Amino acid sequence: MTENDQKAVDIIDIEEIETVVDARSGAIAVREEFDNAPASSAVPVYIVLPILFLAVTMLGGMRLAADNSFIFLKPALICLVFATVMLVLFFRSGLIAVDGWLSESHTMLRNAANGAILVTIFSATVQLFSSLLPEQGLPFWIVGFCFLWTLWNNLFSNFDSQRLLRSLAALFGFAFVVKYLVLANLTAPEGSSWLQRMFENPGREAFTWMLDLPRYGKGTGYIQFFTLILYLIGLYLTPTFTKK
Amino acid sequence: MKEKHVHILSLIIILSGSSFILFLYWTEPRTIAEVSSKGQVVLGTYTIDRAEFDQGLANFHRDEFIAARAAFDRADPQKRDAITQFYTAYSYYRQGWGRISNDDALFRAGLEAVDRVIAIEPNFRIADDSLKMKTAYELKAELDEGLKITLSDFNPFRLTRERK
Repeated sequence: MTENDQKAVDIIDIEEIETVVDARSGAIAVREEFDNAPASSAVPVYIVLPILFLAVTMLGGMRLAADNSFIFLKPALICLVFATVMLVLFFRSGLIAVDGWLSESHTMLRNAANGAILVTIFSATVQLFSSLLPEQGLPFWIVGFCFLWTLWNNLFSNFDSQRLLRSLAALFGFAFVVKYLVLANLTAPEGSSWLQRMFENPGREAFTWMLDLPRYGKGTGYIQFFTLILYLIGLYLTPTFTKK
Repeated sequence: MKEKHVHILSLIIILSGSSFILFLYWTEPRTIAEVSSKGQVVLGTYTIDRAEFDQGLANFHRDEFIAARAAFDRADPQKRDAITQFYTAYSYYRQGWGRISNDDALFRAGLEAVDRVIAIEPNFRIADDSLKMKTAYELKAELDEGLKITLSDFNPFRLTRERK
């Protein structure tokens, strides 16, 4: 390595260090700004966010049967895996800073409240995947694979929080269309007998049988649409650092 | 509002909301009315509707078994009361009993009801002199026997037996 090359390397190193220092001081400034905010401004984080994410947790596994009675579905195991990957993505992209939510400098009560909110974010994410994944059969595996592929790729991409939110909105929106518009329209309505259903809707009955599609009431799609919207609003409102 | 109060309120919201969600997914109610009655079961405040039960009992003694069971269902929607479930099982037995042959479907439904009685109160005993079978196990044995086909079923003296 020549002397000039060595100087160039030194300059690049200094620039990188300055960038890192700028980023860190920016983050500290943001954190201080949040920490000095009045307590009333913590209400959206500590009151609104839990309500939003709990609502998503409750509604995500809820379906309406053909007679409009409630069905509560427990999430598949893969939904927990997806939700864990999603939380890692939130931390990596800076949507949630771990030390901004859980820290030794916080009081125990604040850490407990923050930890509980993080748990509600996790449970809401599990239930959202449960809502958007088809329940069984070939569609479950295909959509599940698409989720896995996208999340796995995202894990190794450089995201900021805004880009991640846009990417997730697109991913979930597409999954919603697949399950509650495309597959729901391929499902034959409930009929009195198998023979009657075959005569009335032969194509849809065949798809229902081949793809193992469950027959839900029409209200299910509406409930899950609002669940998805609530989840995205919740993520949008989630701060990187919690306020004091 | 103080910071501490906001955090406490947040924890209360999360704990109570999580409990409600766990309750929903555990009990799987199918209607809003079921949410209420299952909630009473969980809280230990569940009681049967006494007026409906009395109505069902009156129907039962008049041998109007379908009406009796409908009233018992309204009285005990969660099927948690041993006495109501015993009368329900007994109504299936009496309706399904036949001098020559029994109605298997009704006897099976009776078995399910009497199994519920045993699950709720294994040593259950009814204080009703109009019933010949006083315990859940007697009723269960009678229903079980009624569902089986044995050599004794072809005994002509069976035609003289009486409904209990």
